[in-house]
Order: sequence, then structure tokens, then C-alpha cells
Amino acid sequence: MLSIVDLQARIAGKTILNGIDLEVRPGEVHAIMGPNGSGKSTLAQVLAGREEYEVTAGRVDFDGRDLLAMPAEERARAGLFLGFQYPVEIPGVNNVYLLKAALNAKRRAAGQPEVDAYEFLALVREKMRIMQMNESFLSRGVNEGFSGGEKKRNEILQMLVLEPKLAILDETDSGLDIDALKVVAQGVNTLRHPERAVVLVTHYQRLLDYVVPDHVHVLARGRIIKSGDRSLALELERRGYDWLLESKVA
Amino acid sequence: MSALPSQGAGSSPALRSLETIWKARAADGLSAQRAESMRRFLALGLPTIRDESWRYTNLRRISGREFVAPAAGTEATSAPALSAEVAVLLEGLAPAASFTLVDGRPVPWPSLDALRGALEAASLRDLLARHPAEIAPALRAPRDEDAARWSLLNAALFDDGLRLRVSSPLPAPILVLRVPGAAGAESIVHPRVLIEALPGASATVLELHVGTESAALANSVTRLELGRGARIEHYRVFAGADGAAFLDSLDVVQEESSECRQFTVALGGGLVRAHLDAHLAGRGARFEGHSLAAGSGTRQVDCVTVATHDAPDTTSTQTARAIASGTSRVVVNSKVTVRPGAVRAESRQSCRGMLLSQGAEIDARPQLEIYADEVKCAHGATTGRLDPDMLFYLLSRGLDRATAQSLLVFAFLADVLIGMSAGGTRAAIENALIGQLPDATTLRNFR
Repeated sequence: MLSIVDLQARIAGKTILNGIDLEVRPGEVHAIMGPNGSGKSTLAQVLAGREEYEVTAGRVDFDGRDLLAMPAEERARAGLFLGFQYPVEIPGVNNVYLLKAALNAKRRAAGQPEVDAYEFLALVREKMRIMQMNESFLSRGVNEGFSGGEKKRNEILQMLVLEPKLAILDETDSGLDIDALKVVAQGVNTLRHPERAVVLVTHYQRLLDYVVPDHVHVLARGRIIKSGDRSLALELERRGYDWLLESKVA
Repeated sequence: MSALPSQGAGSSPALRSLETIWKARAADGLSAQRAESMRRFLALGLPTIRDESWRYTNLRRISGREFVAPAAGTEATSAPALSAEVAVLLEGLAPAASFTLVDGRPVPWPSLDALRGALEAASLRDLLARHPAEIAPALRAPRDEDAARWSLLNAALFDDGLRLRVSSPLPAPILVLRVPGAAGAESIVHPRVLIEALPGASATVLELHVGTESAALANSVTRLELGRGARIEHYRVFAGADGAAFLDSLDVVQEESSECRQFTVALGGGLVRAHLDAHLAGRGARFEGHSLAAGSGTRQVDCVTVATHDAPDTTSTQTARAIASGTSRVVVNSKVTVRPGAVRAESRQSCRGMLLSQGAEIDARPQLEIYADEVKCAHGATTGRLDPDMLFYLLSRGLDRATAQSLLVFAFLADVLIGMSAGGTRAAIENALIGQLPDATTLRNFR
């Protein structure tokens, strides 16, 4: 579904991604871990199409299409979803309008008619129940005045409504207390499906207790330096990253 | 601020022609006051960019012209048809009373019997002929002469207009439509509207200024007088062709505990100079001045808002939101003066601009002068482009770039729009604003 080959990218003249190779198949959950500044968020943003990053080499194939040739909005409509680490507040743009516009953009791209207003509300309500969100969220501005946890829940709500083929969740677990973490994890698990895939970018293995990954990768200095199964995450939790970084340098 | 004539424009064709118009007019019951206004206007001359309040707006195109008074016999007796884009602004509006001024002269209005005891209307021409003393006090020009010279010229030369007197709460808005008539582009008209809200009365007033390429230059003045405890929500909206020019002065005088909420919206025209002078004269008076300026094409919008606190416990809020695309220029000058004795005055000023193209320019200038103790005043001004984080967020959800941009611009203006309590008016203004954004169709569906 997602095939990344030798992806290199820089911002403001500084190279951040140094040749990423990654293969994500339908039905899989991948976790990308790594120390601060290793390029995890850059990878997420580059895949979602943030223009400030310049891709200098490599290719990315998404569902048979050249992802890097598509603008951000087209990637979204093709079924790629980025859950932001720091979801931006947009006062004046209503949450429910954004959800509806996003869903309709995707449906139009797929040649489907716009969603019926009644069906749409029923769908959103169902997803909000999963995310344990109060209906008053809908009428508020996008993320406006939301707490850190509310913003992350809202990201997962959007994901559930849009049902992407590939969800890339950038540190969705950061800043969450244990109850919120469980709700978010439940949301992510709801999306798991043989036809979909999830890439979790995370610092800690805590989230992986609730969303069990098939593959774990360690990113450092813009490269994947080790891959393994879930036990790698547990080992990282015990030993930290230094042993990997040292052995790589040596 | 200089009180000396501006030398550059002192001998301009426009100034000479205005003096000629002045000399040719017949005397009336206000001659002494008019003469004084004209004397001051001539001494000040036409503004140039050397004048503080006109720094960003060059009136060369106006000062180079020779004006004439509208020819006799061109007066309209009925309201002309409105263009579709202007008619949209009135959709859904169910006014309690409507007045139309054609080239500044009111055409006969429908009976106000249903509003007996709540609203009275009179043409200024009638009042001038019969009770000039009733108008005289309302001719005082604002204290800031530099900004007020067009108001002085209006006081000298106006010969018609409207006086509305509201004496109890009105159930629906009053519409004052100002449209151009047969007076041609070479003429200048000086419409004047006086709105009095007597103690305890309240009203919502929408003044819609419509301009065309071939219209006379309108040097309009509106004066709002709020008695004790009176409330007015006033809208002035400028709409129309790219070639249209508007010079409008709005003077607000507020007595004790009165409340004025004012919205200035520049949607059309080539040049819009919208001046507002609010005088908080009575204890506890509250004033809100909000402006929305949409610059597009080569439009120049210059909004000047001056709030003067002249009594204790007065409050003022000024919010300006400007967007500019093409090579347009928007100027937002917002000034608060707290005069001696206006203790415990509170004011807030917020000017924000959003540039939508490389060639556009926004100048936002909040100013504050405080001469009293125990006051609370806050101000801020920012101008920037669309927030790239917000834009990326919307794009990452699959929205078209044009839609995302429009949505963000609209959201930026929402601060002012949400304050509009006249529902029909707000919807109409929103629609007109949206119409100027890149993806109007989708955006309309959003609401």
C-alpha cells in the first residue's frame, strides 16, 4: 500500500531525512519510534504533502500512485490521513463544517454523491460516541480552545469519519493522560481493517500497549536504523535509544 | 495636525470650483454657520498626503477635477432600480421603514403611520425652509479638523437630506439607501442624514451607499445623536462599481448610558474613505466601532475611526479586519483619546489585516492619547498572510486550495461578523463578502 524508497528531504537547506525505506502492507500497523530530532515528524509531514519540505531524492508509491507528485489535498482524497502532533486552532471555521467538507471532498474524488445531511450527522454521532466526545464540540471552531487531549480526540474523530486507507498518526499519544490514551487507542483500533494500514509515530511504547503494532522501526538521524516486532518497542522502553545509536556509529 | 492650508492643493481646480459653487448658492437660515464652515474648509484646503490623517490616500484624482453643483431639474421623484449585486444585499431584510436618497435628496417615502409615536422623518430641505434652528446644532464639525474637512464642506453646501427621529424602540431596522441619480460625474453632492435617538429609544439602521462609475461624487455626512440610555446599532455599507468614489463622515454623539454599535463595511467602489468620529459625552456611554474592509483589484479603502472619551466610566471598542488582494490598499486608522476628567474610561482597539497577494498593502495604525487617570486601554495591530499551518491543515483534510483559502479569510473576518445582531443584515453582508472570495460556491454551502 505504501512503499517508500530512499526518501530524502530537507527544510531551509537542512537535510532531515537521509534515505528512508519502508514498506507498509494493507492490514498492518507500524510504529515508528526514535529520539527527538530524528526526523519522525518530518517523515509524517512529507508524506502528507507539506510544501515547506523539499524532497531531494527517493520515491513513494501509495496504492499504485506516485504520492510525491500529488498535492496535499489530493493525497487526502486518495485516502491518506495525517493526525497532527499539534493540531492547529482555526477560530471561525466550524468543526462540523470541516468534517463535512472533508468527507465530501473525498466522496467527490471517488465519484460519489455528496453525503446526505441526515446520514452525515448520524455517522458523526456514532464516531463521537467511540471517542467519548460531547456534541458541543461540533459547533465550536476547529480545535478552538480545546485542551491538548481534546485536540487529539478530534484528530481521531476526523480519521474515523474519513476512514482513510492509511492513517499516519504523529505523536497522537503525547500529552494524553491514561484515560484519554485508552480512548484514542480504542479509536485507532476501530479503524483497523484488512484493507487499511496505520503508521504510529511515537516517542514511548505506552500507546503500543493498547494498539499492538505488527512492525516497529527505529528512526535516527533521518534513517531507519533498526526494525523488528513488538518486542523491539519493549526493549527500547527498557534500554532507551543510546545503545542503538552507539552501535550504529561504531 | 496642521491647521494651515495645504499649499499643494490650495489652488487646485477642485478647490476653486468648490468656492465657485459656494459663492453661487442662495442664502438660507443657516448662512452664518455655513460661511464659518466654508471659511474653515477653504483655510484647510483639500487634503494631501502631507496631512496626517490622509497619509495613505492620495486624492489627486479628485483635487484635479472641476466640480459643478447638480443641474436643476435632475432631481429624481422615485427610487431607481438596483443592480443585482446591490439587491442581494437587501435580500431577507424586512425593514420597518425605508428611505431612498437619490443624489442626496430623499424621494417621497411611504407613510410612517404604522410607526406613529416611534419614528418621525423629515427632509432637511423642508426643515431648512421652515425650522433651520432645529438643524443648526447638528452642523458642528468634529474637533479633528484635519480629518473633518469634508464634513465642513458638507455643512457649508448641503441642501437636502434626511432627519430621522426615533422616540421608542423600533421592532425592525430602518433602511437608508443612498443611490446615484441623474447628477453626472462632474458634479458633487453633499447628502446629510441626521438620526436622533431620544432618551430610551432604540433602533437598528442600515445605510447602504451605492456607487457607479458615472455618479456624482458624494461627500456624505451622517450624524447619530443618542440621548440618555438610547441604543443604536448602525451599519454603513459601501457597495458598487470599481470606479465609484465615496467620501463619508459619520459623527456620533452619545449622552449618558447610551450605547452605539457601529459596523462599517467596505465591499465595493474604487475609493472609500470612511471617517467615524464618536464623542462619548455622557457618563457611562458605550461605543463599539467595527470595520470590515475588503480590498480587491485596485480599490483603496481608508477607514478612520476616532473615539473621544469625554465623561467618566465610558467604554469604547474598536475592531478592524481588513483583507487586501490584487494591488488594493487598505488603511485602518483607529484612534482613542481619553480627555481630562474621563476617569475610569476603558478602551480596546484591535486592528488586523490579511494580505492575499504580493501587490496588496494594508496599513493599520492604532493610536492612543490619554489625559485622565484610572483608565484601562489596550490596543494591538497585526498584518500578515494566510497562516500556512492552518492552510496545510485544511488541505490535509482534502479541501481544495481555493476553498481552504476562502474559508480562512472568512474565518478571519468572523470576529466582526459575529457581532452583528441584525440577522438579515449580517447574512447579506456575509454573502457579499463571500462573493469576493475565490471559492464562493462551496463557502456558501458551509454556512
